[in-house]
Amino acid sequence: MSTRRNILKGAAATGAIATFGAGYAATARKLARGHWSGEVPADAVTGNSAPPEFRIDPATGELALNPEIALSYTMCIGCTTMCGVRVKVDKAANKVLRVAGNPYSPMSTDPFIDYATSVADSFRAMAQTGAGQGMAHRSTACGRGNAVLEQVANPRRVLAPLKRVGPRGAGQWQRISFGQLVEEIAEGGDLFGEGRVAGLREIRDLETPIRPGAPEFGPRANGLVWMNGVDDGRDALVLRWLKQGFGSSNFTRHGSYCGGAYRSGSGAMFGDLKQMPHAKPDFANARFILFAGTAPANAGNPFKRVGTLVAKARSEGELSYAVVDPVLNNAQNGPSGTRSRWIRITPGTDGALAMAIIRRMFEAGTINSRYLAQPSAGAAAAAGEASWTNATHLVIAEEAHPRFGRMLRGSDMGLAPGAEGDPFMVAAPAGPVPAGTGAAPLFHDGVAGTIEGPVRVKTALTLLREEAMAGSVEAYSAACGIPVATIDWLASELGRHGRRAAVNSHGGMMSGSGFYNAYALMMINTLIGNLNWKGGTMIAGGWFPDTRGPAYDLASFPGAVTARGLPFGRNGPYEKTSEFKAKLAEGRPYPADGPWYPNAPGLATEWLSSLAEGYPYRAEALILRNTNPVYGVPGIAHLAERLKDPAVVPLIVSIDPFINESSAIADYVVPDSVMYETWGFTKPWGGVATRATCARWPVIEPRMERTPAGAPIGMEAFLIALALRLGLPGFGPQAIPDAAGVLHPLERAEDWYLRGAANVALAGEAPVAEATDEDIEMSNVARIAADLQAVLKPSEWRRAATVFAKGGRYEPIGRSYEGERARHAFAAPMQVWNEDLGSYRRATTGTRLPGTAAWRAAEFADGSKVADHYPERDWPLKVVSYKSPLQNSYSVGAPTLLRITASNPVSLGTALAAEHGIATGDRIRLSTPGGTLESTALVREGVAPGTVAIEHGFGHRGFGAGDITIDGETWPGDPRLGAGVLLNDLGLVDPTRAHAGVWVDPVSGTAVRQGLPARIERLG
Amino acid sequence: MDTTRRGFLGAIGQVSIGAAASVAGADPAAAETGAPHWGMVVDLRKCIGCQACTVACIMENAVPEDAFRTHVSVYELVAEGQDPAMVMLPRLCNHCDDPPCVPVCPVGATFKAESGEVLVDASRCVGCAYCVQACPYDARFINHDTQTADKCTFCFHRTQAGLLPACVETCVGGARNFGDLNDPECEVARMLREHQVSVLRPEMHTNPNVYYIGLDEVLDGRVAGEAAYRPPFDAAPARHGEGL
Repeated sequence: MSTRRNILKGAAATGAIATFGAGYAATARKLARGHWSGEVPADAVTGNSAPPEFRIDPATGELALNPEIALSYTMCIGCTTMCGVRVKVDKAANKVLRVAGNPYSPMSTDPFIDYATSVADSFRAMAQTGAGQGMAHRSTACGRGNAVLEQVANPRRVLAPLKRVGPRGAGQWQRISFGQLVEEIAEGGDLFGEGRVAGLREIRDLETPIRPGAPEFGPRANGLVWMNGVDDGRDALVLRWLKQGFGSSNFTRHGSYCGGAYRSGSGAMFGDLKQMPHAKPDFANARFILFAGTAPANAGNPFKRVGTLVAKARSEGELSYAVVDPVLNNAQNGPSGTRSRWIRITPGTDGALAMAIIRRMFEAGTINSRYLAQPSAGAAAAAGEASWTNATHLVIAEEAHPRFGRMLRGSDMGLAPGAEGDPFMVAAPAGPVPAGTGAAPLFHDGVAGTIEGPVRVKTALTLLREEAMAGSVEAYSAACGIPVATIDWLASELGRHGRRAAVNSHGGMMSGSGFYNAYALMMINTLIGNLNWKGGTMIAGGWFPDTRGPAYDLASFPGAVTARGLPFGRNGPYEKTSEFKAKLAEGRPYPADGPWYPNAPGLATEWLSSLAEGYPYRAEALILRNTNPVYGVPGIAHLAERLKDPAVVPLIVSIDPFINESSAIADYVVPDSVMYETWGFTKPWGGVATRATCARWPVIEPRMERTPAGAPIGMEAFLIALALRLGLPGFGPQAIPDAAGVLHPLERAEDWYLRGAANVALAGEAPVAEATDEDIEMSNVARIAADLQAVLKPSEWRRAATVFAKGGRYEPIGRSYEGERARHAFAAPMQVWNEDLGSYRRATTGTRLPGTAAWRAAEFADGSKVADHYPERDWPLKVVSYKSPLQNSYSVGAPTLLRITASNPVSLGTALAAEHGIATGDRIRLSTPGGTLESTALVREGVAPGTVAIEHGFGHRGFGAGDITIDGETWPGDPRLGAGVLLNDLGLVDPTRAHAGVWVDPVSGTAVRQGLPARIERLG
Repeated sequence: MDTTRRGFLGAIGQVSIGAAASVAGADPAAAETGAPHWGMVVDLRKCIGCQACTVACIMENAVPEDAFRTHVSVYELVAEGQDPAMVMLPRLCNHCDDPPCVPVCPVGATFKAESGEVLVDASRCVGCAYCVQACPYDARFINHDTQTADKCTFCFHRTQAGLLPACVETCVGGARNFGDLNDPECEVARMLREHQVSVLRPEMHTNPNVYYIGLDEVLDGRVAGEAAYRPPFDAAPARHGEGL
């Protein structure tokens, strides 16, 4: 061995186990104690191992089910990926024993089996029989997916409605009846002995403006605001209740403190800043992928699918890749040699890297000019392209022009609208002409003779090139900490593989520059021209929707309310507010009293500021559903205390199976179903080229207490009961229209989800086949067969049964591609210049931002640089968060995960450690302008210089980490559940905001957890 | 000198298998009876360190709180002048053909099954832990519930039913591959033919039935799990600041 090598103790904390067992010393004396001093296991050789789910004769394939076991295909909700899984249930004990994958599901299997396969044959596919001996269609659950079934039996689960006793957040509760829960929340009153609280009936005023003199915010009903976690396939019912029934427009999810910056940056590229489409590399066929801010095979969505495909592609396929990350993680793989490479980056500077690469692509001529030159869908089709861009479209580049930053249109030139509306204009020798069916000039900087006079115009690509050329590669290199030679190598790899190269990103974009960093990274894909190509980037193939289908219309109904008003999170145009108009009249329209984000989706991050500060208006009631912003938002500690004051938000209700950090400050906790007890339909976020709907149904009896009518007390029972009591439209005996317009009831969960299943089954070119008796029996859909027959029509129920028997509906894998192209293609143009972005003014500054990819160092709301407030001499380090393959923000209650990784030490690199005399195991204090924490150090090679990294998912105060008292009986806190530290405790508030708010990205409004300025010291 | 089938190869640390007839682990006598000879090939290029195997094993086999039958050690490997690299090393009982744990058992509780598994008959085991000491792979422990020796069985109860071991069934990266080394058509036999493979602790001449693709020689002795770091659990380790 010629190379000296070190194996660092304490490498990655995951997989960290002292020894297999407890060692010899304690056991040597057992011999003396005599024969079999312990418990006698079920079997002398196989111990207490679970009984096999079925037996199969490998020679004949003959299958014998275990009559005590049910095997059902349903969905894991252990993370946002929501994989199709196969659950093994002990029928008598109503207990899930183990989880494996669903071989029909692309989330768990590659290649997944054909949907026409019988359930029995799907079992055979995973046994040791046939080609591949069960490994050809190996279908898996990940480490967390294997463990989270433990949450069902979590001893700290809420099974009955709770009402707080004493002040908010005191951890004191009383059990109340379902009837009392619904009555108090509906009617209000002096609920806590603290004075009168308005109930939902009173709040549901659809006429009176919520803020006097500001009709743009809509009616008082908007004072009920709903924070959701992730759409687990139940949001459609929530939205029906909240928007169309109650009449509030205020609903938000967790994205703004998850991976929202990436999604927004991608949304800018894809031309939709609200829905935020995004593509993923075709992992199986790409030759080179640059991963920045995402870690395939370490975490992400779809975690398993990407892990499987990347592992296969780097070993058996042709894929090489680089992972740009401040922290070395499982995405890199030593045994794959040069196929995978880790590149250190200074946190939050990915935009500098991307702009350097873009600059090099312009310089080297490796941009895909032929692709970029096509100015329309027709031109792209004629040129054999699979997508198109607005690279050649002209942009108004004159600051004084009222439409500065907008695209030049035919109407500007006095042209009548064409067949496709007001045309975009491209450069031509005699002046701008409408984008046509031929190629157009890529670069142009000139003056257009508009009907209002001459106006400076440039092509979108010219503006991008100017932005890229604004910095030297050396300057970009200095900003991101990646050597010029490495940047050149990346640019060359991305250039030389043509459309088989791709860039991918996600949650690592959550820095103060996150939006532009993400837009810049995604711009590289557009310059390559890889969208919709095999081996390039592809969007998700879509799904078979549950809400709007051929059988029932679950999305609309007679009498539905149209909720209205500018959003509570200020993700709308400030210029539409009365505040703006008043300030304009005073001649000083900017700055606004707080930031607005017209180019962002709903923002939970900003809601917290709105809730605490009452800007733009006060909320009267907050409903949290399976969500935990108090744990998840960096810097929230500075606002959370305020939310404990009932005068700030008078009513807080949490619908959650657990008392997490957020439900801990609720007035009421409504229990909810967990994992395999729940209903829902979901689609892949990305990474699956075919249409796919995953179905979830209660494969075990839910553990919650029952309503008087016998339904499990959970979200559905709660919303339906409230709707009936308040008389909300869209619920009751006549609520759901079928295709003929006949109304059907919505009085229990089954009325909703079984009709959704019928829609899934009947959607598309042809309906799914009817489930056979064997399918129904083998999948234990027999458990819900009576409900299927009672709710659905005779022609529907067996097809809906197929959807549950197979755990969803999946288009055959053969429909991924059409020749060299993605079959499900994204049609709208890529936005080399995004005019919504390029034309808006920041409400807090009145200034503009580039409408194309750019590198911008982080700024606070007033436009000042974060680095000027917190200079490097005081705060020399950057703190980042990274995802664990095992633990997430809501999985800590699965004890097996803590057996593998019990805590999260703070990781730092060897040079930084040496500088401070820190060794692995030392106690350290880490401080930012937002907070401090003390923890244990883990010294690694695989951390970028000047960087400190914290694994997410630890440092809980909720979930039972502290005491919970119910009816005077205390569940003592378990310190194991509170082990470790939480990066969000270090999060910053923005010191420049008039109303308190956490530090967010200026465009996307998303939380900042990557690149917090910090310092470290050794303790003791 | 060791003259067993693979001992001489093991001493080199890497095994190159040419033809099915000489597949490592193949037992000509067993092949005639039709009995399988189970083996595992772990392709380290495919392991993503997700610990699905670790958890599936615990769930499947009710592994007691303080022990593991299998897990994945995660290493950060640093070669001079190179970037550090991640190596995930799945570990389990190697089901050796020359298992050091068998001869030391004073009561004959540990035995080699016809299909190749090294198993423990708990009804005979007295919990003396000699086998725990003898195992060069640190793959055994005393089960504190039963007070007997415990270890991976290659999911004997599942293979008897025609099913894959739990860890193999759930392997997300497709790193763990399992099958009958006697069957040249079997996936694992093909992998042994087509790849250069290594074993752990080759100097022990145990003739293991667990093979690795892509095992760096520096790791072939790392079997005790000591390289990985498990932060000691401290009842009050973390202080959460509430902000400056």
